[in-house]
Amino acid sequence: MAELDDIIHQPLRLKIMAALNSLPATAAGLEFSRLKKLTGATDGNLGAHIETLAKAGYVSVEKAFVGKKPQTTVTATAAGRGAFARHVATLQEIIAGRQG
Amino acid sequence: MIDSKQASEALAEIDDMVQRVRRSRVYDIASQMMILWGALVFAGNIATWLQPREGYPIWLAVYVLGLAGSFAISASRQAKTGVRGFDRRMFVAFLLCIAFGYFCALVLGHFSPRQQGAFWTIYFMLFYALAGLWLAYAFVAIAVCITMLTLVGYYFVAGDAFVPWMAVVNGVGLIGGGLWMRRS
Repeated sequence: MAELDDIIHQPLRLKIMAALNSLPATAAGLEFSRLKKLTGATDGNLGAHIETLAKAGYVSVEKAFVGKKPQTTVTATAAGRGAFARHVATLQEIIAGRQG
Repeated sequence: MIDSKQASEALAEIDDMVQRVRRSRVYDIASQMMILWGALVFAGNIATWLQPREGYPIWLAVYVLGLAGSFAISASRQAKTGVRGFDRRMFVAFLLCIAFGYFCALVLGHFSPRQQGAFWTIYFMLFYALAGLWLAYAFVAIAVCITMLTLVGYYFVAGDAFVPWMAVVNGVGLIGGGLWMRRS
């Protein structure tokens, strides 16, 4: 019986993973500012949850300078994509009545 | 463990976020193309106003530069997002639209330059509005505004002033719409 992933299931982390997983695996990920706009989170809150996902190995964080501006890009890792797919499958199983 | 209602809410949240990302990516590439086409259309109208007899080469140049720019923007966005915005199918669709427009304006209709100025703008805005029904309603809003202002100019702006009016309505309208999309 599959278990829900506690790291992904937190509401803001679920939004972050959903956003990153909707991109093709070959894409460069999403900028921090774009993620902030999409999720409606504050800088501090978003940063803390991205850090949690990064520690779990679900996302990679790349910091670079575009011109003179610092830019942080967050990308879902292969492990993160797999974990997210399993999480979604578990949610669907719960709805189908096989769990819960 | 959560119940099925909470699981449904979580899946709905995921779906909502996927739609937001999709809309954001459409706005991202569309805004750049609208700014490009807005600048070109503005320049095309002003050049036509200054050199009315050179209308055909001017607008041919606008289309060629617009298509080349659209391919360049699409290629640069593909490198970043993995998605191509302007592909061969869209290129062929664009050519078909142009061909049908010319057939209506010059073969069937024999439109005057003023009528053509209004026709081409309204004609392209129709496609913006149709695309907007599937992609993002911002396209519909922009298309309706530009179409209404074009008709205002067509009926109420007299003489040669109609061409610079169209430069502002169509050119600046597209640039403004593109900037608005970029902020959304």
